[in-house]
Amino acid sequence: MTATFLPWIVVLMIAVAGVQIGRRLRLWRRGQPAPVDWLGGLRALPKRYLVDVHHVVERDRAAAKMHVPLAGGLVAACGFLLIGLVTGLTAWRFFWALVTLAFLAMTAGALLEIRRRYPRRLARLSGGSWQTFPFALIAFAIASGLSALFATFGNALPALELLTLILAAVGGVALAATAAEGPMRHALAGATHLVVHPRPQRFGGGRSTELKPLDLDAEKLGTETPADFAWNRLVAFDACVQCGRCEAACPAFAAGQPLSPKHLIADLAAASAGGERPPYHGNPYPNARPVGGRIGLHAPIVSAEGVIHPDTLWSCTTCRACVEECPMMIEHVDTIIDLRRFQTQERGAIPLKAEEPLANFRGCDEPNGRVLAERTDFAAGLKLPVIAAGGQTDVLLWLGQAAFDLRGQRTLTALIRILTAAKVDIAVLGADERDCGDLARRLGDEATFQRLASANVAALASVRFRRILTADPHALHVLRNEYPAFGGTYEVVHHTAFLAELAAAGRIPLSPLAGRSITYHDPCYLGRYNGEVEAPRRLLDALGLERHEMARSGKRAMCCGGGGGAPVADIPGDTRIPDLRMAQAAETGAKTVAVACPQCAAMLEGVTGERPVVKDVAELFLEAIEAAAMRPAEAVRALEVEPA
Amino acid sequence: MIANADALLKPLTIKGLTIRNRVMSTSHAPSYGKDGKPQERYQLYHEEKAKGGIGLTMFGGSSSVSVDSPAAPWNQISVADDSVVPFFREFSGRIHRHGAKLMIQLTHMGRRTKWDTEHWLPVKSPSVTREPASRAMAKALEQEEIDRIVADFAAAAKRCQEGGLDGCEISAAHGHLVDQFWSPHSNKRSDKYGGSLDNRMRFGIEVLTAMRAAVGDDFVIGIRMSGDEMLKGGLSHEDCVAIAADYAGRGLVDFLNIMGGQARDHIAHAVSLPNMSFPVAPFLALPSAIKREVDVPIFHAQRVTDLATGARAVAEGHVDMIAMTRAHIADPHLVKKLSEGRADDIRQCVGAGYCIDRIYVGGDALCIQNAATGREATMPHVIKKAAATKTAVVIGGGVGGLEAARVLAERGHQVTLFEKSDRLGGQVNLASKATWREALSGIPRWLTGQVQKLGVDIRLNTEANEAEIAALAPDIVIVATGGLPQKGEASGFDHAVTTWDVLEGRSEPSGSVLLYDEIGGHNAASTAEHLAKKGCLVEIVTHDRMIGEEIGPTNQPVHLRELYKLGVLMTPNAELIEIYPEGNRLIAALRNTMTDAEEERVVDSVVVDYGTQPVDGLHFKLKDKAKNKGLTDLKALIDGRPQPFETNGAAPRGEGRAGGYTLYRIGDAVAGRNIHAAIYDALRLCKDL
Repeated sequence: MTATFLPWIVVLMIAVAGVQIGRRLRLWRRGQPAPVDWLGGLRALPKRYLVDVHHVVERDRAAAKMHVPLAGGLVAACGFLLIGLVTGLTAWRFFWALVTLAFLAMTAGALLEIRRRYPRRLARLSGGSWQTFPFALIAFAIASGLSALFATFGNALPALELLTLILAAVGGVALAATAAEGPMRHALAGATHLVVHPRPQRFGGGRSTELKPLDLDAEKLGTETPADFAWNRLVAFDACVQCGRCEAACPAFAAGQPLSPKHLIADLAAASAGGERPPYHGNPYPNARPVGGRIGLHAPIVSAEGVIHPDTLWSCTTCRACVEECPMMIEHVDTIIDLRRFQTQERGAIPLKAEEPLANFRGCDEPNGRVLAERTDFAAGLKLPVIAAGGQTDVLLWLGQAAFDLRGQRTLTALIRILTAAKVDIAVLGADERDCGDLARRLGDEATFQRLASANVAALASVRFRRILTADPHALHVLRNEYPAFGGTYEVVHHTAFLAELAAAGRIPLSPLAGRSITYHDPCYLGRYNGEVEAPRRLLDALGLERHEMARSGKRAMCCGGGGGAPVADIPGDTRIPDLRMAQAAETGAKTVAVACPQCAAMLEGVTGERPVVKDVAELFLEAIEAAAMRPAEAVRALEVEPA
Repeated sequence: MIANADALLKPLTIKGLTIRNRVMSTSHAPSYGKDGKPQERYQLYHEEKAKGGIGLTMFGGSSSVSVDSPAAPWNQISVADDSVVPFFREFSGRIHRHGAKLMIQLTHMGRRTKWDTEHWLPVKSPSVTREPASRAMAKALEQEEIDRIVADFAAAAKRCQEGGLDGCEISAAHGHLVDQFWSPHSNKRSDKYGGSLDNRMRFGIEVLTAMRAAVGDDFVIGIRMSGDEMLKGGLSHEDCVAIAADYAGRGLVDFLNIMGGQARDHIAHAVSLPNMSFPVAPFLALPSAIKREVDVPIFHAQRVTDLATGARAVAEGHVDMIAMTRAHIADPHLVKKLSEGRADDIRQCVGAGYCIDRIYVGGDALCIQNAATGREATMPHVIKKAAATKTAVVIGGGVGGLEAARVLAERGHQVTLFEKSDRLGGQVNLASKATWREALSGIPRWLTGQVQKLGVDIRLNTEANEAEIAALAPDIVIVATGGLPQKGEASGFDHAVTTWDVLEGRSEPSGSVLLYDEIGGHNAASTAEHLAKKGCLVEIVTHDRMIGEEIGPTNQPVHLRELYKLGVLMTPNAELIEIYPEGNRLIAALRNTMTDAEEERVVDSVVVDYGTQPVDGLHFKLKDKAKNKGLTDLKALIDGRPQPFETNGAAPRGEGRAGGYTLYRIGDAVAGRNIHAAIYDALRLCKDL
């Protein structure tokens, strides 16, 4: 009986799921066209799923232990049954033993999933249909498993077998029925998403973090309604499994700002369907701003009447922690920027405090309204040649926004001093260096960004250099990864990597800063955006510092709150992101937080009260040089060190 | 962070010279010159400012260009021959290493100097006049002498250029030769150098023209001048604006360094170097007015004690460079602290004038609150950490105790500070209660902020005793218990109250008051002013030849001005010999110290100031158990070596403790002196503990 019916139950499930997902498919097709390499995507699917996705899933061991047998069991069992149906292997008892084992594995996985939700659900998981979903899974798994078991041992108890088969059919169809609006959607949409992913470069160990240029001649700039998203982005929203890893990693959520990446993606998935807004069973947006909740393929998403409040949109620091954590490979930051682009460029609906920097960009090519020639003011007492058009240098120092800020100037001064001591051939563009455009772009002002990018690319084309050095990871990211789209391809090196090279080359005598305990805070735009987490640590170790790691470090480090224009958007929450991050740093017991980004320095130094001191790695490096340069007369007191 | 900090941290380019920020120190004479040269001490003093981030430091106030303008008074610098050039080279190298710029002031003092110094040459001036302040009768200059001095200026400028200096200014302020020509007050000539303003300006034009010819177009040359002499018969504001506009218009000067007033006599001198009785930046309107008439950069100094004021002056366009000369004496790391976001750590000048007052009585310039200034070779501005952490107890929260606690805490030691009263600051709290001396409170305020920040365990309202100290098991005990006033030895002294009683409000005299001063410092003078302002009829009597004899020349005239204005009777050369009651009043018997004649006063109160006696009871209780018997090894102290019995830098923690503690006494607890003495006692001892 099982041999006859169970494979057909699977076929039935596929049919039901097909019909269901077909409804979503029709929705996806309403999205904007996007270039997709179907064949390549399909070919790469197994590897993307088994390697790339698993790599993310595995970071949460318990989740991996649950998902591997659950999904593996389900796919294997169904796969076997379909193979059996085609090949006639169903007549073979050993075949049924295999099927039983597969369902057994699935049962074990489903039990683990139940364990994650009962007696109390992990805070980041969603309830509702997600909470009952494992029961459908386990019902299907046990009933099908028992049926398969019966088939293994012959038709011993036909009545019971009939019952288990009926149960299996009910469970299976119930599962398949959730493929449009319920939990099973993640599997089908997720697999599709892996095939048609908008950033195929990120798979197979690659990296793709640059924002894509917007066609400024388009009829509509940015995304207003679900229909304005590229169709494969709509697929991405449907792929969300509501595991909440993004939410747990989100700094804005932690600070009580009205943003949860999970909620946002769920809202976007819901928005495209239209009709009644489906209930959401995860954590609400912290301090949620009321919204009307109007949804629909052509309904504006971000508005007080829509599903997403503008404050949610502007809370994002673009730190990519959500993207880094998402097992479904969803690109939350792209989505937020798409939405911001419409708000800024079509509606001018930007946060109050963001108006000034954007206006300044237009007048001054710089967000603080300063004269570009003033960028080198701070370096008046230092050796810092300005390169003229046609000039040549080995290293072109990109000063960035830090040059206008007292705190940033301290870092840059230290860096210039080091470079001078190391006799590195450096120069700056001077008044020809415009802002890199990071802030404008993240605030959605793509037109300003593109204008600045083109101007900077032209300025860089007028001089000759081997590579660009910068102490600003935001500038680094934009110059290295986003300017190629505007015709500028450069070797860009961050000062942490450059200084690590210097230290390794032994070109400057360094005296170890022994006895100083530090913790290193990874800048998002260096670590997550550019994968550079080793060089800064190598450098700090070379300086003889006692390094303590925060619980969240490297590519999984928490943001300081300074990126993506969040400081100028200034959306209030319960606390401030840098306060949270500083508390994590203090927890290590380190007396110094080493930073490598002017935004991080500013944000963390803005934390009041007792806290570790904030030093850029360049400042620490300079201290080590100065300690080594101690005059012989003072060497008598070699045991004594200058206070920090 | 202060407002307008950006304005201060913007470079200024004069000709080809880029000064990294808008903060400078004007040329002054700290009396550190040696043999007429800026040698190590002088250079280190300025190097500290360069390290501390200053944009431009100018040295050599009144550096002389000619032999008949002697360099000896105030140990100045002579640029009158080539032997100074190697020193300039060393000096400029030292400053440039830190990114700062270095300039000098060149001058011929004219009549404003002494004739009885190195060369015994008569002083020179446009006319035969005498400046009250410098007391010399001048010889009128002849044309040949004028030509020679003009050539001397040119030769001196050339030496500055050869020495690698970034520029120079000539002084035409405070009554030097150039402005002696300008001012009708000192220029009575009837030749081409006298009479009309054009004629009076001629000498300066000749000087600047010759200097320019000697050094070429690129070398920066400026002029320091008054914006208003504020003197009847002197240069009016309009005259000064006209001169500034004329010189700048001729392209003779690359910058104008404007000050207010002049210095021909004691009070004018005091006004031109405003002390704490003045508001901040009292003469800012003068450079501001001149800036509107010229298109060369304007510099200005005069009691700009805080960066916020300096930043405002630059941001609002009153000046291009703000000079914070005395502010740098108090804290040479001012700009560094601003740019490091540590503006709260700046030790702000209180305007006591201790630095400048000392040089007029033959001393060297020292800061009342920063004992490291001018002693850079031996005293650190940044205290180094000790290798071994010790436990230290400081008894007494006056400025000496506070400085000791600060330095020990900077060394990394664990410090407990006992203070009997409810407030830190000791005697300075008292002094700052007297009228315009209020700004002194800035000294303990900074120290208190620092010790709090450094985590010193501050125990207010706690009189330390042996048991409490023993409970802390200290390695080091510093006794800074200060002193208490005494009433002297005149018969019937019990009828008197002290200046402390008055300032602390324990005694509130009314009616007629005789204030007897045996010390000659600020205490009695300011208490007299305090009493007079409260309506008392005050007579201040002193043993000295004059009232406030110990007070320096930028402060004493202000005291005298206030006392005169308030109708205080001033009686020098008299000693208080007896006080006795008569009815409900007191008779104070005085003896004229010159004639021995006695006279009596019938008054309602007698207030006395005999200085303080050390409070040393606790010290002597602790002395016997101390490893060093409570004695500071003076040779080690002077040499800047650690004290005997100290295991600083070598022995691990606890080893020192095994042998008990070392005990030191500092400040007025040793002998009644002054604020600087207490702070220097603390710094030079504790930096090596």
